Amino acid sequence: MSKEKNLIGIRARRIASNTTIYIILSVMAIIWLLPIAWLIISSLRLEPGAYTTYIMPKGYTLNNYTRLFTETDLFPFPRWYGNTLLVAVLSCIVTTFLTLMVAYTYSRLRFKARTKLMNMSLVLGMFPGFMSMIAIYHFLKAIGLTQSLAALVIVYSGGAALNYYVAKGFFDTIPRSLDEAAMLDGATRNGVFWKIILPTSRPIVIYTAITAFIAPWVDFIFASVIMKDNYQNYTVAVGLYKMIERENIFNYYTRFCAGAVLVAIPITILFISIQKYYVEGVTGGAVKG
Amino acid sequence: MKKFKAALLKLPRAIGRGFKELAEMFIKGDLRTRLSYLIMGFGSLTHGQILKGLLYLGFQILYFFFFFGFGWQYLKDFGTLGTATQIKVWNESLQIYQRMPGDNSMLILLYSVLTLATLVPLIVFWRLNIKSSYKAQKQIEEGIKPNSFIKDLRTMLDERFHITMLSIPMLALTCFTILPIIFMVLIAFTNFDQTHQPPGNLFTWVGMTNVTDIFLGNTTKRNTFFGILGWTMVWAVFATFTNYILGIILAMMINKKGIRFKKMWRTIFVITIAVPQFVSLMLMSKLLTDTGIVNVLLQKMGWISEPLPFLTDPTWARAVVIIINMWVGIPYTMLMASGILMNIPQDLYESASIDGAGPVRSFTAITMPYMLFVTAPYLITTFVGNINNFNVIYLLTAGNPLTLDYYQAGQTDLLITWLYKLTVNQQDYSLASTIGIFIFIIVATVSLIVYNRTGSVKKEDQFQ
Amino acid sequence: MKKMLAIVLTIALLLGMAPAFADGETITLKVWGSQEDQELLGILIDAFKAENADKTWDISLGVVGEPDAKTRYLEDPAAAADVFAFANDQLIDLVNADALYEVTRNLDAIVAANSAGSVESASLDGVLYGYPMAADNGYFLYYDKSVFTEEDVQTLDGLLAKANEAGKKVFMDVSNGWYIASFFMGAGCSLTLDENGNQLCDFNSEAGLAAGEAIRAFTADPAFLTGDDSVLTGGMGDTIAAGVSGTWNAEAIQKKLGENYAAVKLPTFTANGEQIQMASFIGTKVIGVNTQTQFPVEAMMLAEYLTNEASQAKRFEMRQIGPTNLNVAASDAVKANIALAALSAQGSFGVSQKLVLGTYWTPAEAFGTAMENKSTDDMQTMLDAMVAQIVGE
Repeated sequence: MSKEKNLIGIRARRIASNTTIYIILSVMAIIWLLPIAWLIISSLRLEPGAYTTYIMPKGYTLNNYTRLFTETDLFPFPRWYGNTLLVAVLSCIVTTFLTLMVAYTYSRLRFKARTKLMNMSLVLGMFPGFMSMIAIYHFLKAIGLTQSLAALVIVYSGGAALNYYVAKGFFDTIPRSLDEAAMLDGATRNGVFWKIILPTSRPIVIYTAITAFIAPWVDFIFASVIMKDNYQNYTVAVGLYKMIERENIFNYYTRFCAGAVLVAIPITILFISIQKYYVEGVTGGAVKG
Repeated sequence: MKKFKAALLKLPRAIGRGFKELAEMFIKGDLRTRLSYLIMGFGSLTHGQILKGLLYLGFQILYFFFFFGFGWQYLKDFGTLGTATQIKVWNESLQIYQRMPGDNSMLILLYSVLTLATLVPLIVFWRLNIKSSYKAQKQIEEGIKPNSFIKDLRTMLDERFHITMLSIPMLALTCFTILPIIFMVLIAFTNFDQTHQPPGNLFTWVGMTNVTDIFLGNTTKRNTFFGILGWTMVWAVFATFTNYILGIILAMMINKKGIRFKKMWRTIFVITIAVPQFVSLMLMSKLLTDTGIVNVLLQKMGWISEPLPFLTDPTWARAVVIIINMWVGIPYTMLMASGILMNIPQDLYESASIDGAGPVRSFTAITMPYMLFVTAPYLITTFVGNINNFNVIYLLTAGNPLTLDYYQAGQTDLLITWLYKLTVNQQDYSLASTIGIFIFIIVATVSLIVYNRTGSVKKEDQFQ
Repeated sequence: MKKMLAIVLTIALLLGMAPAFADGETITLKVWGSQEDQELLGILIDAFKAENADKTWDISLGVVGEPDAKTRYLEDPAAAADVFAFANDQLIDLVNADALYEVTRNLDAIVAANSAGSVESASLDGVLYGYPMAADNGYFLYYDKSVFTEEDVQTLDGLLAKANEAGKKVFMDVSNGWYIASFFMGAGCSLTLDENGNQLCDFNSEAGLAAGEAIRAFTADPAFLTGDDSVLTGGMGDTIAAGVSGTWNAEAIQKKLGENYAAVKLPTFTANGEQIQMASFIGTKVIGVNTQTQFPVEAMMLAEYLTNEASQAKRFEMRQIGPTNLNVAASDAVKANIALAALSAQGSFGVSQKLVLGTYWTPAEAFGTAMENKSTDDMQTMLDAMVAQIVGE
């Protein structure tokens, strides 16, 4: 009797606690989604302007989206979108390779300067990046690369040697016996990297690639320092930011929102479809730093 | 600390050893090796390693072209950073004041740093060239054929694979991180500001003036520095730990047995990561103004009569940025924690619950210690990231509300955003650089102390 | 190397062989203008090329608005535009950086064609450094005719009283040095430079104190509303009945107010029991020629063309921008423009923005922020702190 009562008690408690969790999660979900919803509503608003005295729009339209692609004289949005896609793909490839190369080297190879280099990378990562932008701009200029998409790819991939932590952590968890066995069979260290490590590291490859792919979509500071007035080579982030400058904001605010939605859609899809790898990658890395 | 001292002592010793070795090789080396001291690759060429020798020689020739064709014209003015300003000459036929270009302090400084930096590979290759010639000489004396170029190359894929792997990343790191940092550090010792802008004006070395100006000279600047430093630390602690703890709790709720639609919940929070921060934060700052939608809504519902000063009152604004930062950061922690939580052995919880521990107790006694242990490096990186968290502050409040107590700064400014404003709005590069160096010192000290006390880092090598 | 080059060039010049550009050489120029000016500039440049078809031109356009010109220029002068538009408050900094060619060719004609004020606004120590393009960098009062009478908008008190009655707001961005100065300068304070080029400011004088208290009273009024431009353009006609702004918002506000759209000079405010007319900054937009340009003479030709009578008329026609050219300003179309009429009425209480250095803006904004937050601190202390930062000590 008492045992049964206890069981009922436990079940009741579980239902109560689960209900509480559902309520908390729902409230949080609403809080997290509200700004997104507001962004979408604003992107569909018929009336221009960044600010209204009422909450729901008076009229709805898809024009804000279509005009991004048809009225391209002042804001060549499709071109910017293409630029960003190109930069994102290229810098994603370059960054992924560089990061994994560095991570593999630190994780698997033993050489004299190893710990020194790792400590140096740790320290270098702590410098605030802003001041160096001026210098980077002029270095790029010296080699004739400023205001080009290639310069952006270089800048986005240039820091790869500092961001190896997560990937190294992941590689550390791959048993060394695997490489040792391969090396006994005559594989070089080069062979081990390509044939053993990379194939077993799908989560971390994907994690590194996504992170690198997203960066060009969201960064506007580096891109605007490098592009300056070269309008045709802007990325979407810089271009969108232009739309909400003082002189443009009244006419372009709703289009800005539409553009932001168009940027968010591919990234969202990307994230959702490879969430599993992302979680595995970042977890593997964080566990072992 | 001891480690640093040891490292500092090691350096001169290593240099001493290097010189000794060079001298030894010169004495023991034959003529071909000795000539390699002057003409790179001479030894290799005459020892039958033609390709290698040509590469060395080509490097030396290229370097000379670079140094005398480009580097020297800047390097020679490094001491003064230029003396000739741009001048005007009246041109009667064109009816204009024609400009005669003068020196450009910034380019002198920048390209001098670049040129000085190229001395490092020069010395390294020069030494390698001598060593290789000496080695070949020895091998020939002993009757062994020196390594062919192909064989040398092959070692790059195996024994010396680390050099192959690291060369490109390190080159990028040098060009886009290390050299710019050196440049930035040097700027702190000049008077590069609004009134000393090239090309119209020159700037020059001023020693420690900028440092003394912050700490001894100007009360407003000193107050600003320490005021902002204090808030930066408060912000970093709150921003890091609120996100961390709440993110873990969120992950636990979603992971809890019996909770359905796990994937949907996760996806909802992930969507917010996908919206670029400059969009979502700009939107938030619009929502929270005095006339923003949040205030309008609250007023329409009759809960408040005056708009709430979300972003205009200093205390409110500071609280608001921390709260908004949770919106930004919790999904990341949630994603990271989801995986780790599944790794915590379930029997730990079961035995705790048999001992009568409630959910709060098992969270503080089991979950947190486990998470803290495995994610310490992540936590430190996040903390450092928050000290330098430009985006959230700049896009949300731009450092505002401004205050008259601070020099060109507001109540939510972090050191990093203050630095940005000084550069972009005031062109006060030298002061900004000085602050940049201090940010670095603070961040490096804090994180090195924590890092060296973290168990999981100490044992990084043995863990595998 | 460079000095050698300079000497060689100088000798070449002395020998009078300077017109170095050979026939048929392509003249590459870059022009900076604001986003909204791009279409207009495109038309003007095409017309310019047609008129000067004897040379081969390659003229490109960059988007850099007048307010950002100085910052963008200083980032990398060599990569900056050869011909660029800037707001005249950047003049001192640009001249200090030796960024601008003096206007020396056709000087007399340019001076004669443009208003004396606009020429003065682009001059420093008697030297003209740019081609005056537009005289609309100022602000005045927009209002809703259905709420206020012409009588009401004469005084700030009248505006606030009527707005409170109607449950509407009076908008002014007080946390902005550009607008807030209208109180101080109206009360007789000034921003000038000493002989070394350092900023002088007497906003903490007795007159300044009275102005400060007037600002405090204004921000404390229930009808007071602040915010950025989007708040004004979004709320005008709904919750906002009057607002201080400039011509760039004219189109948006006219759209919102329809036939109730009206604009007038700034009102008077009460200080020490007296009515004092609010002053305002007036600035011009000027086209400058970059000293780093390869083709100074051609760049000057283009700059002159972009600011000549026909171009200014076209600019007004397409963008309703106030001209500096005397003939265009005298045309009926310009005179009939409500916003420009208000701006020109305010013009007689205007103070040139040329002598304001970069150190002014942040402390003034900080003071304005304190006012908007209804700070109860001692006014004199706050003003002293503000002035100390403005003058740089």
